[in-house]
Amino acid sequence: MNILTCFKIVSDLDLMSESDWVVEDHFRINTSFVKNMINPYDESALEITLLYKEQAEKLGSAVNLSALTIGSKQLDAYLKTLYALRFDKAVRIENQHDLRFSPDAISTVIANYVKVIKKPEVIILGRQSGVGDNAKTPLLVAEHLGWPCISQAVKIEPASEGLLKVSSMADDGLVIETIRPPCVLSIGNAPNSYLRIPTLKDKVNYGKKEIEVLEIENYLNQAVLEQPSEGHNITGLKPINHKRQGVVIEGSTPAEKAQNLYHNYLQERLKQL
Amino acid sequence: MSTTSKTQIVETLISILGKERVITDEEVLKESSVDRFRRFEEIHGYFTQPLPVAVVYLRNKNEVAAVLKFANEHNINLVARTGDSATEGGLETAVENSIVADGSEMNKIIKIDPYNMQATCECGTSLQDLEDELREQGYTTGHSPQSKPLAQMGGLVATRSIGQFSTLYGGIEDMVVGLEAVFPTGEITKIKDVPRRAAGPDIRHVIIGNEGALCYITEVTVKIFKYRPENNYLLGYTLNNMKTGFEILREVMAEGYKPSIARLYDVEDGASHFSHFAEDKCVLILMAEGPKPLADATGKAMEKIVAKYVECEKVDPRLIQVWFDNLNWDVSKVAEERTEIMETKNISNTTEISATWDRIYDIYKTCVERIRNEMPDMTLVGGHSSHSYLNGTNMYFVYNYNVVDCNPKQEITKYHLPIKKIIVEETIKAGGSMCHHHGVGKHRTRWIQEEYGSSYYILETLKKAFDPKGIMNKGTIFPGE
Ligand SMILES: Cc1cc2nc3c(=O)[nH]c(=O)nc-3n(C[C@H](O)[C@H](O)[C@H](O)COP(=O)(O)OP(=O)(O)OC[C@H]3O[C@@H](n4cnc5c(N)ncnc54)[C@H](O)[C@@H]3O)c2cc1C
Repeated sequence: MNILTCFKIVSDLDLMSESDWVVEDHFRINTSFVKNMINPYDESALEITLLYKEQAEKLGSAVNLSALTIGSKQLDAYLKTLYALRFDKAVRIENQHDLRFSPDAISTVIANYVKVIKKPEVIILGRQSGVGDNAKTPLLVAEHLGWPCISQAVKIEPASEGLLKVSSMADDGLVIETIRPPCVLSIGNAPNSYLRIPTLKDKVNYGKKEIEVLEIENYLNQAVLEQPSEGHNITGLKPINHKRQGVVIEGSTPAEKAQNLYHNYLQERLKQL
Repeated sequence: MSTTSKTQIVETLISILGKERVITDEEVLKESSVDRFRRFEEIHGYFTQPLPVAVVYLRNKNEVAAVLKFANEHNINLVARTGDSATEGGLETAVENSIVADGSEMNKIIKIDPYNMQATCECGTSLQDLEDELREQGYTTGHSPQSKPLAQMGGLVATRSIGQFSTLYGGIEDMVVGLEAVFPTGEITKIKDVPRRAAGPDIRHVIIGNEGALCYITEVTVKIFKYRPENNYLLGYTLNNMKTGFEILREVMAEGYKPSIARLYDVEDGASHFSHFAEDKCVLILMAEGPKPLADATGKAMEKIVAKYVECEKVDPRLIQVWFDNLNWDVSKVAEERTEIMETKNISNTTEISATWDRIYDIYKTCVERIRNEMPDMTLVGGHSSHSYLNGTNMYFVYNYNVVDCNPKQEITKYHLPIKKIIVEETIKAGGSMCHHHGVGKHRTRWIQEEYGSSYYILETLKKAFDPKGIMNKGTIFPGE
């Protein structure tokens, strides 16, 4: 089976202090001062992909993994890491345009890439990324390709005859479906899905393969590239008030404090469970 | 060791402290039997050390004295604890029926004395609290370890800790003015706060760095300094070679400049902090602070020194500032790390050493090469120098590995200790010190005699004199049986 996992590199916004949030020229916030990271949902998607490969190979079926990202040369370090983790192919679609708020453009690029290489039967993406993102990209990729999409997926396992067993979160619990590819899987809040870390030896042995670099212009028409922001501009910034109210539980002994906590705060709530 | 039964120990402790201050809950005892050194096995639910008999919360020096006296009279091992951020096994309860004596509730800031530029506080005062209080009044301790939100004054003094601005303010030993400590006999001793004296040896140093193996620190007086962050002169550079970096640090120090920050990261360690602007590069960070004319002059002079080294490229100081603002570890970061370790089975550990300028690069290079070649499953081997002196600097080795094909209990023997062994043995062989600022703890004691050479006589005599029964934190600094 051929799987394509798409990921996005984002700024680690938790590292920005309130004073760093300044709207600069071109209505942009400068986040270049903070470290980058793989968007957490995409990190889960990559780990889930690797877990799937391990399981499928144990059952004797071959799995070929490709990873795709869109952006500048700076991202190659991440692709090299994926090679070291035994992805078979790492692809970067070179882009210098501002496509941050353009899920339609991004999904078109991915879908067109897939149409050209005609290969993957399964596309795995994180459901959403940081600020301003809207959980649209995986759904739009599926729509462009006319493939089904399972959203909020948290686990993928091999099933018989090339089928996939996909667990996904729904309002009232976990849904387990067995599906036949092609399909798009949008990875939700998956437990145990930090991306594994390659050893130095694997970096030396596998991490140096050549990254395939493609031009975005071949996958998206110029007009969209030049006018991609779908009319969204930052007009202002307001800090979110994260303050919470707190109460100090009074009592002269820990036992008395526990009693007060139980009677005044917990008893009623426990009844409602 | 002790012939006193668990029940007798608990009953006596209750009679001294009251029931609420003597904790025997098994979960608490388990957590109190280890520190960060054993976090891999602990996170996986294994507790391999003898559990303490109780954790006691002490409120004042008299309670400390009473508990110590009782432990001493009955040969019961006692482990002092404050912030619980130890990294080298100093908090492990190495023998059966130990008492963990927690001073974290002795957390009063007793006096801030801006006229005499000093502050006095109890041992359980968190450095963050003291620092926040001081900064509000325009002062600082100048002490800024990465564990500032976790560590407390007693532990900070007991481990000879050091902070990120040490090249200007010094390590904790340069900051401590006076101390109060209780010895195993219950003797309460106070060293007065004076600017200097020549009345015999400096006995502060019996207490500073004792790691709970000689006495229990109850009160600390430290110097304070004017806090003027607006004058900070921050410089950041990328460069290709650690050797060049050490040369620059040496030149800055030898020329007589006093930066507050002087840090040099190698490519591997730097990659986990600076990949967004320094791919495949070393990173050098310098900062001058203090009164504006002095900070500016120092900053400019350091810039001039670095400018002579063509491989250095200046970076926007904001890149360094944002990184620096996120450097410290609070409880949420500790919790996050635990989840990550559990899920990835990847763990990061460190060993910090020091050596003179002529030796540091060779130690660095040999250790990094040996660990890379000799150890399996490594995912990062690198380090940084973060504290410089007139005659040399430190090296903080960082090594991450995937724990595979072994029981979590074997992580220490399969990976951590063999790596430490390489670093410690190479350092001692080259004439450096095997411990720069985390203390000896319990896992570097096997080299303590080599570390000291003929001067071990002095160290050992301190133990014999102050803790002849060996009840203070058995196996720490001094090897256990
Ligand atoms: C994320 C992280 C970052 C760190 N960064 C730094 C750093 O930048 N610089 C640095 O120097 N260290 C650092 N450390 C190590 C650690 O924070 C220091 O060793 C600190 O000084 C320990 O203080 P504590 O209050 O937590 O002591 P504890 O962990 O409670 O105890 C440490 C040792 O001191 C003894 N002790 C504690 N209290 C007393 C007392 N009242 N009397 C006698 N002995 C006592 C204990 O028995 C033990 O041996 C770091 C640790 C962590 C986890």
